[in-house]
Amino acid sequence: MYKNRIFILLQFFVIAILMLAACSGDGDVVATVVTADTEVSRLTSTGYTCPEPEFPTTVTSTELNLFVWTEYIPAEMIECFELVYGVKVNRSEYSSNEEMYDRLSAGGSNYDLTQPTDYVIARMTRQDLLQEFDHAKLPALKNFDPRYLDFEFDPGNKYSIPYLAGTDAIVVNTGAVENIPQSWADLWKREYAGRMVFPDDSRSVIGLTLLTLGYDVNTTDPLQLAEAREKLYELVPNIRLFDSDSPQTALLAGAVDLGMMWTGEAYLARQANSDIQYIFPTEGVILWQDNWSMLKDAPHPDAAYAWLNYINQPNIFWMVLRDFPYINPNTAAFNFARNNQTKVVGVNGKETTLATLYVAYMASPITSISSAVIKNGHRIVDVGESTRLYDDVWEAVKNR
Amino acid sequence: MFQRLRESKSARGTLLALPTTAWLFVLLIIPLILTLIVSFGQRSPDGNVIYTFTLNNYIRLFGYSTDCPVGQASCFEPLYLNILWRSLSLAFNTTWVVVIMAYPLAYFIARAHPKKRSLYLFMVLIPLWTNFVIRVYAWMMLLRKEGAINAIIGWLMHLLNIPFVPFEMLYTPGAVLVGMVYEFLPFMILPIYTSLEKIDNSLYEAAADLGANSLKTFLRVTLPLSMPGMVAGTILVFIPVMGTFIVSDILGGRQVILVGNLIQRQFLDARDPTFGSAVSLILMVMTLIVTYFYTRKFGFGEEIVSA
Repeated sequence: MYKNRIFILLQFFVIAILMLAACSGDGDVVATVVTADTEVSRLTSTGYTCPEPEFPTTVTSTELNLFVWTEYIPAEMIECFELVYGVKVNRSEYSSNEEMYDRLSAGGSNYDLTQPTDYVIARMTRQDLLQEFDHAKLPALKNFDPRYLDFEFDPGNKYSIPYLAGTDAIVVNTGAVENIPQSWADLWKREYAGRMVFPDDSRSVIGLTLLTLGYDVNTTDPLQLAEAREKLYELVPNIRLFDSDSPQTALLAGAVDLGMMWTGEAYLARQANSDIQYIFPTEGVILWQDNWSMLKDAPHPDAAYAWLNYINQPNIFWMVLRDFPYINPNTAAFNFARNNQTKVVGVNGKETTLATLYVAYMASPITSISSAVIKNGHRIVDVGESTRLYDDVWEAVKNR
Repeated sequence: MFQRLRESKSARGTLLALPTTAWLFVLLIIPLILTLIVSFGQRSPDGNVIYTFTLNNYIRLFGYSTDCPVGQASCFEPLYLNILWRSLSLAFNTTWVVVIMAYPLAYFIARAHPKKRSLYLFMVLIPLWTNFVIRVYAWMMLLRKEGAINAIIGWLMHLLNIPFVPFEMLYTPGAVLVGMVYEFLPFMILPIYTSLEKIDNSLYEAAADLGANSLKTFLRVTLPLSMPGMVAGTILVFIPVMGTFIVSDILGGRQVILVGNLIQRQFLDARDPTFGSAVSLILMVMTLIVTYFYTRKFGFGEEIVSA
């Protein structure tokens, strides 16, 4: 009997060792090739020549610690920064603002930069987690469209500078849904029972409910929120799934037919299935923006400033147009890409040009939105003491 | 001094137990005390803990809200009690389904030729090499509307010319049960196998000599002697199912809320560590009570050590 067990254990070990040996062998070979390659030139893995910094600064730090959203920064962007500045970029990832806030407020995190969404910035400054930016060290600020600067959540961009923006709106598979919803209120229709996907996000889902009731998305009135809660109870039977990580998966697999989605996710879903449409509801979309903020106890502020200036220069930021189809606040990157016939490797590995990327972005109604949509849109802000009321509504709805 | 230490048996025992005791103290006792303290606290709007002494978190858990709709003095809403009940019944259902599935397999392995046994056990263990979460995702592929199971049934139905509407299996409580059973099956097979394998063959011969048929032999010899394995397996399955949240998150589409999900949400999305701590403690107390009565009736199951 004991022999048997030892035999099993041995089998485990032998196979594990064989697998490890196989893996490390491969790894070594690849590593040497890459280093040999980078010694001679500043080429990325897809063959793009990393440009010189537009605003060169001296960086004495040898590392930069980023705490960022999952799948939200082009790999080449990091590669180029590392090659040009000789700084090693360490990246940790999170998949919700709450997760990020939780980790940072626990302290002792050692991160330099993070990417909070608009309404979280106020909470983070209140908790004294962020460091004020010195605008003299951020010449790249001139590259941004002023419409994406100086928001209510951070007047004067003291604690944040833009990364990418987006909307929350209705997504619908027109191949499966007969009556296409045109407003948030339409989502309550009984014919959509068990067919919808929503992000697991209290502020946006309660927000759209408040809009259907004719209230403000940032209301602090307990009675209005109680009304929204009752209204949300009626929406629950229509919801099949809450997913903040990859709601397009369920939509493309046919598990759900419509719901609420954000810009980048809807763009990818539409790329995979052209029946999928992104509809701006009559009550107005929810607008949001992800930003860069520097942490109070950032160990490498010099590298952080260098990073922010470098990635926002047009000949680097175009990578975002290709890799992350969100609303792009960097005007300089647009102007750089327009009519630019430089050949680059596209997202599917095929060769394309910057001009083609620009045209694709402009042609998509998901990324290139009209100013009417923005004007009609609503922005979620921090509600301070009343956050508790929103949390309670969400708990009651989710646990019902 | 060392001489005396070496001679004194009790001192040696204490020394040997010291690392484990220290480990338990730092990583179990201190966190438990902290959890207890936090559970009596209050949350600030930003989700920080204000240390006071209030029973509000426990009152809330048992359904009595402190802020009721206007015009009502007190109101009862068994929101969280329902979640506790749902988790308890899911853990119970998972356990008995797992017992029914694991027993025949363990029996088969234990009675197989000794040379084959290690191969079979090996096959039971293979799935554990892959990460838990990835295996749950695999079930997503199988269960969904256009997934493998619906495809196969649909194909068969098509052959028989029967109209077929694909089953909605994913994101239902049933899917969560399937995921839990799959996840915890090996933890039942192994202890049952160990206790079955230990049964001396001469006992079966004796039963046959005394005229027992196979059913009687099973009921009077095999089953009682394999009880320790089943008890150990039950403990190894029941307790983790009560606290797991990944399976219900992925296969339940965040719609099937269990205690584990409730606790996890309090520390992240809902930003209420005080309530989360209170729920954690209640979960622990509940598990302790169930295990206490269970082990008093059936013994602790020595197989838990060997499994």
